[in-house]
Amino acid sequence: MAVLTVKDLKVRYSAKGPEILKGIDFEVMGDDFLAIIGPSGAGKSTLIRCVNRLVEPTGGTINLLGEDVCALNPRQLRNLRRNVGMIFQEFNLINRMSVMDNVLSGRLGYTGTLRSVFRAFSQTDVNQALYYLDRVGLSDHINKRADELSGGQRQRVGIARALMQRPKLLLLDEPTSALDPKISREVMALIRDIALELNVPTLCNIHDVQLAKEFCNRIIGLQDGYKKFDGATETLRDADLEDIYAMEVL
Amino acid sequence: MASFDVNPEIVSQQSDLRRRRFLKMGLIWLVILAFIGWCVNGTIIEDTDWSRIGGRSGVLASIGRYFTLDLGLFSELIIPTLETFMMACVGTVLGCFFSLPVAWLGAANVTPSKSLLYPLGRFLMVLSRSVHEIVWALIFVSAVGLGALPGILAIAMRSVGFISKITAEAIENIDAKPVEAIRAVGGNQFQVLYYGILPQIYPVVLATVIFEWDINIRRSAVMGLVGAGGLGLLFFRQMNSFNYGGVSMVILAILMLIILGEVISHYLRKAVI
Amino acid sequence: MKVQTASSLPDSTPKWSRHRYPESLYKHGTLLAILVFLGYSLHFLNVDIAKLLGALGRLIGVVADRYYPPDLEYVLDKGYLAAILDTLQMSFLGGFAGVCLAVPLAWFSAWNVTPNRRVLFSFGRLGVVSCRAIHETIWTILFVSVLGFGMLAGVSALTMFCIGFAGKLFSDEIEAIDMGPVEAMRAAGANPFQVFLFAVVPQVRVAFTGIAIYTWDVAFRAATVVGFFGGGGMGWYLKRNVQQLENLRVAAIILSIIVMVLIAEFISGYLRAAVNRAK
Repeated sequence: MAVLTVKDLKVRYSAKGPEILKGIDFEVMGDDFLAIIGPSGAGKSTLIRCVNRLVEPTGGTINLLGEDVCALNPRQLRNLRRNVGMIFQEFNLINRMSVMDNVLSGRLGYTGTLRSVFRAFSQTDVNQALYYLDRVGLSDHINKRADELSGGQRQRVGIARALMQRPKLLLLDEPTSALDPKISREVMALIRDIALELNVPTLCNIHDVQLAKEFCNRIIGLQDGYKKFDGATETLRDADLEDIYAMEVL
Repeated sequence: MASFDVNPEIVSQQSDLRRRRFLKMGLIWLVILAFIGWCVNGTIIEDTDWSRIGGRSGVLASIGRYFTLDLGLFSELIIPTLETFMMACVGTVLGCFFSLPVAWLGAANVTPSKSLLYPLGRFLMVLSRSVHEIVWALIFVSAVGLGALPGILAIAMRSVGFISKITAEAIENIDAKPVEAIRAVGGNQFQVLYYGILPQIYPVVLATVIFEWDINIRRSAVMGLVGAGGLGLLFFRQMNSFNYGGVSMVILAILMLIILGEVISHYLRKAVI
Repeated sequence: MKVQTASSLPDSTPKWSRHRYPESLYKHGTLLAILVFLGYSLHFLNVDIAKLLGALGRLIGVVADRYYPPDLEYVLDKGYLAAILDTLQMSFLGGFAGVCLAVPLAWFSAWNVTPNRRVLFSFGRLGVVSCRAIHETIWTILFVSVLGFGMLAGVSALTMFCIGFAGKLFSDEIEAIDMGPVEAMRAAGANPFQVFLFAVVPQVRVAFTGIAIYTWDVAFRAATVVGFFGGGGMGWYLKRNVQQLENLRVAAIILSIIVMVLIAEFISGYLRAAVNRAK
């Protein structure tokens, strides 16, 4: 049973603007670590944001965890989103808050509004946060402000925050683009290990094809809004890569 | 999901941290609310004659009086609206003239005397902003009599503060290189000013003047309350004759004028910057 | 080598002129129109140019003649000092209430994070713009007619003024935030209020504090004058003495207003600098 089914997805940002996604179909299974690759402007960011409807699709259907994403009202959408953990290229942490509070904010979808005002998260949540912070190796930095951390550390806070949601799907939007190569590898390894441990399927936008080939089991190649490749990592050949990146001018 | 094995020391440390933060916030808010309570007591509770207000129904009835419009007043609104608009324009332009010397004195890099005239320039800027336009208007009414002139002068004096402050800051932030270049080709003081300094500061200054002009429309409307004509005077008269419908009409006219000013100011500032 | 001079350039050389059509037409046309309008305004408003040019001279003359020496004993009297305290309290109350009400309105009127783009956005915008557009003295007169003379009307008017003043500054600040954390909170399933609390507030907290202090400063300036129209405080004394033609006392009161406002401005500047340094 597929966790995510996307059929004929089309996205246009404005009525007279260009069509960013021109009819994408794919599926994500429960044990997938799926990479989306392609040149800049291919629509990778847009595609991944359609899954949790941060971007409104203009056509097609998205079926996530058995629900038609586009048919949900705001409250239902929020309930669905809390099952989807997202990790961002620029980390998107709340800079003035502590690492601990940043990680706890992952539980907001499950926390009542009044409790949020006083930041009175439950003891279970606090314990869970401490556990994940230890798992990503940040136990010594719990009380630091988020902007006191390095890039790699911040992304690990982002990972812990996403895990707090106990997600059924992980979305990664170029999680390593802002990190240097060695750290990138560490972060991708961490995510892959945790995803395997917790049995969470992952959909990952990635710029670096080498990282995609190393960590992911399936690859989708996008170019100019079209899907050009969809298959297991082993089946990706150089000819396919040339096809996907054909338009990229150095 | 299973329970998590966590170090109990860290857990209690976190709880302590949260409790302390909660108490600190609580204390700050308590102090603020106590202070506000003292202010409420000193102002509203002691001062208000609760019997004369007439209770909730009385207040609602009073407010309700304003919800009619005396449409017959429409033709009488045109001239005062024009007067108000004109006062704002002339006042702003006059304010610009006054601002130039003050900005020149108050800019650290061009002021002729850093120890005496620079503080004077700065003080004049602060003074102009600190005196309310109504007070300026009262001062000028006693100096030049009733009519539009005291209103114009009051608006001008009030605008000097902001315009000259921004201008002085712009002058202080200029790039010295174009100035140096003009001097190097042999330009005199005026040419240095006109070709070197002015082009660098004029977009910001112009945008500020347009911004202040927009605010001055709002101020100009009330100059009439102290004798300067325009919509303020009409407001005063309608209020005195208890014609609440008329008062609402005047307020609408003021709102229309301000919206017009905002629209013009928005597009003009875009064109300048 | 033959050097080309201006006289030997071929006729097909492009010519340059400082003035380009139509940009120069618009620029000079607008300038001309403005000058004509200003001239007409001076005529329409019956402004006596001679009076205008001599205004400063007349002012100094009048001040020296009628307003000097200012009656300082009057303003150091206990009754007036109480009025100064009243004015301060009004400014704190109006500032506090105005700022508190301005925060939700600013949230609603910020296009990027408003919880409802159709209804609440318009409501927020309308609220802030209306409060801003109506001058604080007009608010005072309106409130006096409904609530009677005294500080209740004064505080209410100041509150409206502060909502307009702070509301615009707050919403400008909110519209300038980094949307990354907002996106993250929305992606985690937080409701709009939680998004505001966790993604917006931490980013704008410092700026808001500075704006709140600035608002109090401006509110105090307005508070000194609301009494003139029935709102209590120093302005009330001003009105009485103007009506009774007690010019020396009027001078003293105006002087006291200037001094108090300068002190408030100084304190506000110091506090805002401290806030900027601390966070």
